[in-house]
Amino acid sequence: MNTKNAIIYVVDDDASICKSLSLLLNSNGFRVETFTCAEEFLAFKYPKLQSCLVLDIRMPNINGFALQGLMAQRGIITPIIFITGYGDISMSVQAMKAGAIDFLPKPFTEKKLLNAITLALSKSKVLNQKQTEIARIRQRINTLSPRELEVFQFVAQGMMNKNIASKRGTSLQTIKIHRGRVMQKMQAKTVTELIHLAQKAGITSSID
Amino acid sequence: MKKKIITSKKKKAMASLLKKKTRDCLEEKVRQQTDELKIRDGQLKRGADREKLGADREKIAQEQIHIRTKAMESASDGIFIIDAKKPDFPIIYANPAFYGLTGYSKKEVIGQNYFLLYGPNADMHVLDEIKQIISQGRSFYGELLKFRKNGEKFWSLLRIAPVRDTKGNVTHYVGIKTDTTLMKQRNLEIEEQREELLHVTRVGKLAEFVSSLAHEISQPLTAILSYAQAGQRMLKDREPRLREILQYIINDDQRAAEVIRRLRSLLKKNKPAFEPLDINALTNDTVTLIMPHITAKNKIIKLELGSGLPMIQGDRIQLQQVLLNLISNSLEAMEDSKDSHELLIRTSLRDADTVMVQVKDSGCGIPQENMKKLFAHFFTSKPDGLGMGLSISRSIVEAHGGHLEAENNPDRGATFYFTIPVNRDNKL
Repeated sequence: MNTKNAIIYVVDDDASICKSLSLLLNSNGFRVETFTCAEEFLAFKYPKLQSCLVLDIRMPNINGFALQGLMAQRGIITPIIFITGYGDISMSVQAMKAGAIDFLPKPFTEKKLLNAITLALSKSKVLNQKQTEIARIRQRINTLSPRELEVFQFVAQGMMNKNIASKRGTSLQTIKIHRGRVMQKMQAKTVTELIHLAQKAGITSSID
Repeated sequence: MKKKIITSKKKKAMASLLKKKTRDCLEEKVRQQTDELKIRDGQLKRGADREKLGADREKIAQEQIHIRTKAMESASDGIFIIDAKKPDFPIIYANPAFYGLTGYSKKEVIGQNYFLLYGPNADMHVLDEIKQIISQGRSFYGELLKFRKNGEKFWSLLRIAPVRDTKGNVTHYVGIKTDTTLMKQRNLEIEEQREELLHVTRVGKLAEFVSSLAHEISQPLTAILSYAQAGQRMLKDREPRLREILQYIINDDQRAAEVIRRLRSLLKKNKPAFEPLDINALTNDTVTLIMPHITAKNKIIKLELGSGLPMIQGDRIQLQQVLLNLISNSLEAMEDSKDSHELLIRTSLRDADTVMVQVKDSGCGIPQENMKKLFAHFFTSKPDGLGMGLSISRSIVEAHGGHLEAENNPDRGATFYFTIPVNRDNKL
């Protein structure tokens, strides 16, 4: 595992847990950042690295599950490994359903933790790539004019040129020109490719 | 199965309660009439020094005797009179209720030594005690296990009092016996239910306690394990002795963790048994259970039960536990203040989908700084409290899909209330 390009976050209200996990993961070559509450973690400036979050469930104010929800809201895509002193099955089901990588009852061994971290980091890598790609597509979308964006959305919905023309009340020729520019700016060679890009970027919202 | 038995028992208890009520009514009437008679008697005596005696007085006396005899005959308690002048204490009178109660006929009773009526199975110690007391001309009062003629056991509340002549000599004894079997049985049932609830509460407290303890201990165990494993990692191939020691630390850490895991699985909470429940019936049952405490503490409980409330889905024992906990908290809150007596329990429909139960006291209220911590584990404001009651109650209510909250009343005291979702399948 390449530990150089990865960062591990630990959020636990028990300072001893933070310190010991930090030492343990450091000794395995990881860069570690620890936080004793969710608020601190949310305020952190995340570097663009593969990452994973080792998160305690029971914490005052914002607990682990609540932080998981907040991260989803804010688009923080760091995979989560839950750790808890209250290991019950219903809790772990809840955590896994919400997309956690693993659920480790305390105390857990180094081996179990490292296994979960390996899994989380590889998932993080995929998620980061996906996010970068989406960002790139979004950038291209930003270069479209309002009229071109509209045509892009219609095409993404699978509408034919003449339908778009009649809907917009413009000539077929004009639509063809717009569409050509959309293909060019989005760097798509085929319509299928264009539709793929739209899907990846989440552009399917209809105008009517 | 068990539940069915309880309800049929309940019905029986209700019937006996009804019987007791009518009996009480009758007794009250007889008492009133006797009182009236006493008053009239007194009036007559005062008038007696005048010459208006004679036949009138005779007639009234006759009437009195008639009414008194009639009253004794109609009483639902067994009444009997023993002749004290004769050495074998023969019964010279018994009313019909006495025959009904004992199962003996008039022929078998009249003239019979009273103590022989107890049959061969009677507790001789008690009989001797009664003999001794009444031979000293004192009264006896006590509840004993007796046998009917057919051998059937029954509990009898017995009162025997001496009757004296004008010189103060004991001439007779009058005895009253009441069958308290059903009442005793009902009390026993209530006691059993209370025991059951207390047991569940104790087990719940213990489980919650162990769970909290397990959490507290697993925190440092996690840190110790991680420190030791970090140490091993840092030493790599150096210091084999030290590495070995670190391994011992790791092993024992995991041994401790295993103990906790086993302890926790041992006290796994029982799955709540959900069933359709009538919140008003549940409230009534719970209040019945705690009634002795309420009367003992000189408090009054007022019930405002909403009518036509829909059924809820829940675990009867657990919800009773919550309610019981809230009521006893309220009682404790009112303990110190002499002028607050009233505890109000209100059930209502909060909205179409939620039933609400409020427990409102007029006690000392909740200090603002405690409001936030109220439902936390191990938080208590009582000197001998564990700090588990409210936190367990809240987790029970939440397991039912509801909420448990507290607030101070605008005037005085506090209100705890919880909500439970309506059982959609069984809406009224």
